[in-house]
Amino acid sequence: MAESRSHTRTDARAATEVQLQDGWRVVVLNDPVNLMSYVVMVFKKVLGFDETKARKHMLEVHEQGRSVVWIGHRETAEAHVFTLQQWHLTAVLEPDEAR
Amino acid sequence: MKRVEVKLSLPVVAPLVDLIRELTIDLERSLAAPQALHDLDQDFRGAWIGELLEGQNGDLRSLLSLFDGEFFTVGVIAFDEKNAEPIVRACTALRLKLRESRLKALGDESLETGDVEMEGLDETTKTAFMCYLFLATVQELIIQHLDSTILGL
Repeated sequence: MAESRSHTRTDARAATEVQLQDGWRVVVLNDPVNLMSYVVMVFKKVLGFDETKARKHMLEVHEQGRSVVWIGHRETAEAHVFTLQQWHLTAVLEPDEAR
Repeated sequence: MKRVEVKLSLPVVAPLVDLIRELTIDLERSLAAPQALHDLDQDFRGAWIGELLEGQNGDLRSLLSLFDGEFFTVGVIAFDEKNAEPIVRACTALRLKLRESRLKALGDESLETGDVEMEGLDETTKTAFMCYLFLATVQELIIQHLDSTILGL
């Protein structure tokens, strides 16, 4: 079990590094319905975040209305958006114009 | 396999189950949270929404299966690693639908804080709000007790 978490984190880190070559953002928007604990759980499950990082992004969504949770290749970004939407988070894909 | 059983009060929960069944019918053909998909071409968008809808309906079936004939005899629902994930998602779908269709009058701030005067509500809104809170409680139970199981950690 612990091993599987380690793989997920490694994959997430690798994906974050790969994304620097491309530029699509996965942005999660605030909604008044989803519980904070639920959003944290989804971030951990879908994006491989640890508890601290998941809570940081959840609070960003809650307080600022949005959080960029991933940046990278379009195909992977789309896959993340789809999975986040399966969990009923409002997730959108944006070009990373900062690049 | 970790399993959590919850004993519910049938007189309290039965009307909420009726409402859940109604909402499930409403959700058969539409997503609980319509998503902005501007960047996708039309064909891909159709497939995307279709797949989300299929998943949503599967999740709702899992939730409804908690309230089968046996539930109305013993009043017990049970969560384990097989049903926890679809049920926790189904609860969100239903809460989103309740907000959009039955609880608009309460306003988002009240829904977010849960600060609602029940006495001032008509019966329909009261039932809808109780259902909204019930579904959140189910989610919290699952997240609190089965988080590590459903995350596969």
